[in-house]
Amino acid sequence: MNSQKKIVRITLISLLAYALLVATHKGEYWPFSIYPMFSKAGNPWTRALVRDVTNIDDDFLWKISDLENLNGSPVPMRKIGVDQIDYSNFVSKTQQWDKERINALRTMLGEKYLSTNDWMIYKVHGKLIGDDSVVVNTVPYLLFKADTTVFNPNLNKSDYFRK
Amino acid sequence: MKRLGKLITSNLFDGPEELTRAHQIYFKFFEFFVVYEVIKLSWEWGLYTLKITDVVLPLGIANLIDISFMHGNQLPIINAVLISAIMLISFFRIGSKWLYSIAFILLHFQYVARFSIGEIPHSANLVGMALFSFALGIAFFEKASSRYRFIFGFTIFYIGLGYFSASISKLIGTGPGWIDGRHLWLWIAEKGTDILSREGEFSYTIVQTLALNSIPAATLMLLIGISTEFFGILCWFKKLRPFIILSLIGMHFGVMLSMNIRFDSFMMELLILAFPYPEIYLKYKDQIKSYISGKLIRI
Repeated sequence: MNSQKKIVRITLISLLAYALLVATHKGEYWPFSIYPMFSKAGNPWTRALVRDVTNIDDDFLWKISDLENLNGSPVPMRKIGVDQIDYSNFVSKTQQWDKERINALRTMLGEKYLSTNDWMIYKVHGKLIGDDSVVVNTVPYLLFKADTTVFNPNLNKSDYFRK
Repeated sequence: MKRLGKLITSNLFDGPEELTRAHQIYFKFFEFFVVYEVIKLSWEWGLYTLKITDVVLPLGIANLIDISFMHGNQLPIINAVLISAIMLISFFRIGSKWLYSIAFILLHFQYVARFSIGEIPHSANLVGMALFSFALGIAFFEKASSRYRFIFGFTIFYIGLGYFSASISKLIGTGPGWIDGRHLWLWIAEKGTDILSREGEFSYTIVQTLALNSIPAATLMLLIGISTEFFGILCWFKKLRPFIILSLIGMHFGVMLSMNIRFDSFMMELLILAFPYPEIYLKYKDQIKSYISGKLIRI
C-alpha cells in the first residue's frame, strides 16, 4: 500500500472511532469533541460565587439580591487557588448535598480558611426577561462555618436533594 | 464525490517526498510545541487533581471505570512524571514507536481525573488532537516524509472538522435564531459572574459594552462567529488555509473580548499551522540570505 492510501485509511478509521465516541458520550470524549458548548442559546444559567460573611448580622444573611448588593466581601477564587469554573459547576450541578459532597466542597475551597471565617456559597441565576433585559439574582445557598454547614432555611429540602 | 475526496486528500496530505532541512526544523518545532504543552498540562492537571475528592461529572473513560482511584493520593503526580518522561524520550526517538500513544492514553486519564467535578474545558483539545496525530504518525509510519504529511494533514483535518461541527451543533441546538444578539447578553452576564467570582471584581470590555448597548451589534458579532466556524472547514484547502486560520484566530480574539474566554494554546497551534513556513522559506531563501549577509557586512 502506498503511503497516501495508508494515510487516508488511518484517517478514516480514526474518524469512525471519533464519531462512535462522541456519538455515545454527548459530543465529548477528550480530546475528541464536536464542540457543543454554546449550542443551546437563550437558556437560563446558574453559576456560583463565595462571599465572606463573618461580620454580617444573621437577619441579613439569607437575603436574595442582585450582584451589586451582595452581603459581605468577595472571596476571589484565584486568591485561594481554586478554578472558578470547577467551583461553579460543582455547586450548580450537584443534586444531592449529602455530607460527602459538602465535605468535598469544603476541601476544595480550603478548610483552613473556614476555621476563622464564615463563607456564604451563593447560587447566581441569570435569565432573559422580556425582549431587552437580562436579570441576575443571587441566592444564599450554603453557609460554611468553622464546625458546621448550614442550608438556607428559606429554601425547600428539594433544593438540596433533587433525586 | 470521488473528485472532491481526491481534492481534499491531496490538499491535506500532499507534501515533499524528501524533507529539506527547513521541513525538518518546522516539524521538530511543532513537535516541541506539542511536547511542551503536554508536559505543562499534565503537571497543571496533576497538581490540581490533588485537591479533588469527589466525582460530580465523569468524562471520557471515567464513564466506564471509577476514576476516583486517581483522587486522594499521589497518582496524578506519578502520572505527570510518567507523561513528561515518555514525551521527552519519544521526542528524541528513543525507545518504542508507541510511546506517544501511551502518553496520549495517560494524558486522557489525567484529564478525566482533573475534570471530574463539572467543568468540560476545550482549551486543551487541539493539543490533545496534535498528540493523537503524533501518536498515530510515529506508530504507523517509518519514513520521515510520510510522518510529516500525515501529522500535519491529520491535525488540520480535525481542526477544520472541529470548527465546522461547532457551527452545526449551534444550528441543531438552537437553529438560525442562535445569532440573536440577546443570547450574547446572557453569555456576557454569565461569564461576567465567573470573572467576578474569580477576581472579586468585574468590568465590561469595550466589545461587551457595544454588544450590551445594541442588539444589532451583538447579533452581528454572533453572525460573524458562527460563519467563521462554519467556513473553518475550508482550512482543509491549502490556498485558503492561511486566510481561514487567521479568521479563526481573529474569532478567538473576539470571543476573548466578548466572553472572557481565552484559548491561548489553541491560537498558538493555529499560528504554527496557518502558513507553509518551509515552502515560504525555500521560495525566498536567497533573498533572506542576501538580506542577512548584507546586514552582517554593515555590522
